[in-house]
Amino acid sequence: MNAPFSRQIIGTLKEKQVTFFTSVPCKLLANMIALLEQDTEVTYHPATREDEGLGMCAGASLAGKTTCILMQDSGLGTIINALAALVQFYQLPIVMLMSYRGSPGEPVPAQAPMGMLTPELLKLMQIPMLHCHEAKDLDEIASYVDFARVKQGPVVILLDFHLMSGDQ
Amino acid sequence: MKRYALLQTLVPVIRDSLVVCNIGIPSQELFAIEDRDNHFYMLGSMGLCTSIALGLSLNTTKNVVALEGDGSMLMNLGTLATIGNRGPNNLFPVIIDNGSYGSTGDQVSYTSAATSLAGIARAAGCERVIECHGEAAAGHLEGALNEDQSTLIIAKVESGNEPVPVVPLHPIVLRERFRACVSY
Repeated sequence: MNAPFSRQIIGTLKEKQVTFFTSVPCKLLANMIALLEQDTEVTYHPATREDEGLGMCAGASLAGKTTCILMQDSGLGTIINALAALVQFYQLPIVMLMSYRGSPGEPVPAQAPMGMLTPELLKLMQIPMLHCHEAKDLDEIASYVDFARVKQGPVVILLDFHLMSGDQ
Repeated sequence: MKRYALLQTLVPVIRDSLVVCNIGIPSQELFAIEDRDNHFYMLGSMGLCTSIALGLSLNTTKNVVALEGDGSMLMNLGTLATIGNRGPNNLFPVIIDNGSYGSTGDQVSYTSAATSLAGIARAAGCERVIECHGEAAAGHLEGALNEDQSTLIIAKVESGNEPVPVVPLHPIVLRERFRACVSY
């Protein structure tokens, strides 16, 4: 596995002291999940659903950790309440690494509806979003981790289908 | 025994633990019995109590007690599988099972009929599961905490709530005083 983008993303998060990770799987996130499974420097435990994962991140945040959940954008629909009434209400910094399945390149029709809604939902919830279209956008991830801590809330790193599907 | 009386028996046992308490009347009753900095009252996000406790327990060496409910546990059964596979030894979920949704009008939950949370927890991989009458729960929890053995306790109590007010604390106050207990 070469996967330079996946290595860069996880490397950046680790450099910025993100130490607790959870995930709900996605093919576009598979390389990052594989890296986390082998990484002994961070704590990584898969979640069964996105809201469970956010709960775990919230608990880790209460222990002072900066956390990250890897998930598909479709999972955003599952966690609106957990984001609003837990993560934002208690002002917990959480990095949400989100594969943008509902973006051009996506072969599965059912991914499109949440894809259309995702940027607007995030805007409505006032969650800062870094939309990564190409490799150079990944260089901004570090500043978004900082911003999650400054703002004390969630930030989303949205990763385009074409960007991550080419990362082999 | 109802939830309030059970919480009264649990309070002396959980003073040295980090406590994540379920949303609604459970948190209100705990607050009314005894408010302490090591209590994290959930003010929203029903269903995530045990998951918050799990994330916390994976990142601290202190004991973590989740005061969960049957209705909220049914909302998030997947987290029992995560605990069954990845749960650490300092995690102690206590499911206060009164077979009803106490905060919303005491509608019956499925645990009052055919559903066994103990059976679900065991099948999910949780090794130490104790189902008991509410009267015995504090003793079981104290024993488990002393042995440093993660244990999931299902305490069966009657339905019913004490008339207590909402928790009047700001979420950031709750967060900060709780974080201070975690890092102390």
